Amino acid sequence: MSEPFEPKIVAFVCTYCTYAGADLAGTSRLKYPPNVRIVRLPCTGRISPMFILKAFQKGADGVLVSGCHPGDCHFDHGNYHARRRWTAFNALLHFTGVPEERVKFSWISAAEGIKFAELIDSITEEIRQAGPFEQYHKLIAETGSVASV
Amino acid sequence: MAKIGVFVCHCGENIAAKVDCTKLVAAMEGHPGVAIAHEYKYFCSEPGQESIKKAVTEHGLTGVIVAACSPRMHEATFRTACAEAGLNPYLCEIANIREQCSWVHNDGEQATQKAIEITRSLVEKVKRNNELQPIEVPVTKRALVIGGGIAGIQAALDIANAGGEVVLVEREASLGGHMAQLSETFPTLDCSQCIMTPRMVEAARHPKIKLLTYSEIEKVEGYIGNFNVTIRQKARYVDMNLCTGCGECILKCPAKKITGEFDCGLANRTAIYTPFAQAVPNKPVIDSDNCIYFKNGKCKACQRICPTGAINFEMEDELVELEIGAIVVATGFQVQNTALYGEYGYGRYPDVLTGLQFERLASASGPTGGKIQRPSDGKEPETVVFIQCAGSRDPSKGIAYCSKICCMYTAKHAMLYAHKNHDGNTRIFYMDIRAAGKGYDEFTRRAIEEDGAGYVRGRVSKLWEENGKLMVRGADTLLGRPVEVAADMVVLATAMVPQPDSKELGKTLGIGYDEYGFFNEAHLKLRPVETATAGIFLAGTCQSPKDIPDSVAQASACASKVLALFSREKLEREPIIATNNEATCSGCWGCVLACPYNAIEKKDLTDRAGNLIRRVASVNAGLCQGCGTCVTFCRSNSIDLAGFTEKQIFAAVMGL
Amino acid sequence: MSIQQQYRSRAKELLQDGSVKMVIGYGEGTTATRRRPIFITNPDDTDRLVLDAACKTNLAGYLLREGLLADQKSVAIFLSPSGVRTINILASESQLSSAQVVVLGFQIQGDTVKALEGTKASDFSPLIAKRKEKRKAQPSHEMTRKLEQMTPAERFAFWEGEFSRCIKCYACRAACPMCWCRRCVVDNNQPQWVNTSSHTLGNLEWNLVRAFHLAGRCVECGNCSEACPVNIPLHLLNRRMTEEVLTAFDHYPGADEHQEPVLASFRKDDPETFIL
Repeated sequence: MSEPFEPKIVAFVCTYCTYAGADLAGTSRLKYPPNVRIVRLPCTGRISPMFILKAFQKGADGVLVSGCHPGDCHFDHGNYHARRRWTAFNALLHFTGVPEERVKFSWISAAEGIKFAELIDSITEEIRQAGPFEQYHKLIAETGSVASV
Repeated sequence: MAKIGVFVCHCGENIAAKVDCTKLVAAMEGHPGVAIAHEYKYFCSEPGQESIKKAVTEHGLTGVIVAACSPRMHEATFRTACAEAGLNPYLCEIANIREQCSWVHNDGEQATQKAIEITRSLVEKVKRNNELQPIEVPVTKRALVIGGGIAGIQAALDIANAGGEVVLVEREASLGGHMAQLSETFPTLDCSQCIMTPRMVEAARHPKIKLLTYSEIEKVEGYIGNFNVTIRQKARYVDMNLCTGCGECILKCPAKKITGEFDCGLANRTAIYTPFAQAVPNKPVIDSDNCIYFKNGKCKACQRICPTGAINFEMEDELVELEIGAIVVATGFQVQNTALYGEYGYGRYPDVLTGLQFERLASASGPTGGKIQRPSDGKEPETVVFIQCAGSRDPSKGIAYCSKICCMYTAKHAMLYAHKNHDGNTRIFYMDIRAAGKGYDEFTRRAIEEDGAGYVRGRVSKLWEENGKLMVRGADTLLGRPVEVAADMVVLATAMVPQPDSKELGKTLGIGYDEYGFFNEAHLKLRPVETATAGIFLAGTCQSPKDIPDSVAQASACASKVLALFSREKLEREPIIATNNEATCSGCWGCVLACPYNAIEKKDLTDRAGNLIRRVASVNAGLCQGCGTCVTFCRSNSIDLAGFTEKQIFAAVMGL
Repeated sequence: MSIQQQYRSRAKELLQDGSVKMVIGYGEGTTATRRRPIFITNPDDTDRLVLDAACKTNLAGYLLREGLLADQKSVAIFLSPSGVRTINILASESQLSSAQVVVLGFQIQGDTVKALEGTKASDFSPLIAKRKEKRKAQPSHEMTRKLEQMTPAERFAFWEGEFSRCIKCYACRAACPMCWCRRCVVDNNQPQWVNTSSHTLGNLEWNLVRAFHLAGRCVECGNCSEACPVNIPLHLLNRRMTEEVLTAFDHYPGADEHQEPVLASFRKDDPETFIL
């Protein structure tokens, strides 16, 4: 038996809520698996579906998109717009066969360091169970580049 | 060719204990575009910063990555250091390898690998960063204060006394707000009018304050330091310049049976009226809904009697446009609609009153001259029941919050009643007595111990009339038994609710509000007087229920925020704003609709002869707050966000 | 009088009395079942117009040809209900003014063509409102249901197979009346979000992005699938998006010309079943 599979997960988060929540998890010295790489954006409204596709192209086995709870957006309603886009894009991903566990969306406030740590725990475990996103990796391999770095 | 400097901070042991910083440096040294990579114990320290500055100049760095704590911690520190070394501060980015790496992972090897990827991603991003300049905007040193109650007056006076210009807008015909309606005020029992009216007069006479009564906010455009506000001055039908305030017209007016708002329906007024005797300005207004001339086309009794010819039935609303630098919102509250409480019989029994009506009864300037009498028969009540939390703290009626002032004013009511009717009885049904405040608990104790206020802990379930008495049935939960009181008067401590149109005003101003309609502060604890919209501040009960001292304190805090803004000639803002590529924009206006700040305008592209070619989106840099919602909407990728451009994000993801 | 005759005379009248400068309609194609768009400016040419059950293409996109409507003159155009919805969307997205469009409305039912009452896009609002209700009740496409029942891996494999055939000719884009961007995202190479090589990954990205850009805008006219030279069932993606915005946001694309774009607007109580 080889080593357990360690998935690569990319997270796109807004700077005001989820990024701050992730910082809080740090200052609270909570522990969670080291599989997530965070890309910081000003607002969930800035998170384009293209980011998700590029993360997969880069070999991610899972993607997390997270921001402020509805009503708490620093920019008043960036997250409401984001929610609509996610709804449409999530349905599209589902319909094209990207498994549900590979793209997750969440609301994590600046105060929810615990929620952040627990969520990373659970999605990492879920994707670990699912294994590498081989179907996508195969497409990447066809392009001549390598899935994981 | 990029020359990026990577500076890996140990943060003492905080990072170095988990992340192999030497390995991280080695990984970065080999990365394309990285000119140098250094590690150091504390880069945020003086020698640490100096070493970054030195490297910037010595190596001619085109970008800097500091792999250290969260950018929320020291981004400003390191960007300033870069600027001091002559590098545009926006060419410096922070790789967060402490809060989001070393502190949260157990395995050193994995943490090191993660740190390498985080840092590499930001190196790729910073290679594509552009030099940005902070945006400078001018400041119009004129404040708009919306609402002429105690909070608005206080804010206006504080700003004006410091030399700032103020436009004070009040939608009623007089300044004063709710405080002018009160009898005495807790905990000192000084007469509300005695302390309020001098302030009203001072505000009206202040050379720096322009007073616009009977006026409302029509439109607000622009941004901090540069708002354009349109105010509707409603037609008063009385020329303020000609009117001397003699009051002859009021005496002459035949429409006398109009329910008076100021006395909460306990007295009538005429169609041409001043809201109350001490009104500021003390000049009448015609209520066109009830004026006989406006209804039937005949009368004009006031016009005939007026010695100065001040009455003008042809007067129309006027729109005033003003340039404003800062806005203080002090629009106050309303008393909750008591129709929600059928079980308390409000509206059915004339002697069931709201707290505010009781204030008018107890007030020396009120309809009874300060005598507490039953509205039904004018008799002095022998027993008065007060019901606290009539609306507040009752999620089933839609109000979960505590109105904060009712415990205190009910104690005051009981006290005022006891002072005026020495043989009277009081029963106060309460849930808790909340008396936190300077001299407040002492005050309620005094009501109980010296003035015999009879507190009963429990709720009232039913109220009915029997033999000329108001029968109040409730529970005494301390004794665990039902209570029935035969009362002559019942006073409901009704909840404080937002103004019914507060949500519309919130939309006009572009500020947030909660589920009830109270305006949202930027941060409940650390920025309690600011809104999330820069340059707009909150004072008084439009934000949450408050008493007078809290309202006044918040108003003064607003004034200090406004004055701090006015102390500057120019404002600097982070240049994280959207820009549009006009060549590729198709003008679908999705961005215009999506923008939370109305920061995107439609711009005409014309040829040299001035003929319209097409229209494109154009971002107003002053209004844009940099959320990037427009960028994501734009299908043609025409709009981009400085600091978080498409190229930067693409590179950051592909660099992971 | 046959509907074709009726519409020919109507077209002739419009051109003769100067109320329109052009009629966009259908003409004979290379085979009996093919129709090609024709652009008539001379009243004497209206006899070339054909209207029968083979007239399936949505012609609305031709209105956006650079400069056609710039002179503020009107153009008449043969449109099915989905074509009228297209006009509404194009108007709501400020790509044209519906006042310049004279609708020659028709509806194909099986082998027959029915004339539709009305000349302005807004005249068809009641009809479109009815179609919205019908669309809500309409069960998903058989293939869609089949796909939904597959495991994600099977679905992925299905689309992988379909997209592997894509040759990136962009005929779908050219045929789609909603693809009017001055610069398509795929033509932006700073950064190159969508891989332009026609490997399966690039093809997947392209088709996902196109479907997303059509979310809440696609009127299900079928031009894309019709145009695809390798027969990728593109309409399945777009239909799925239509169903999503209809169920989640009650949005029926092109209901009227004042409709807000579904992805540039929001409601605070939008559903969010999938957000953790």
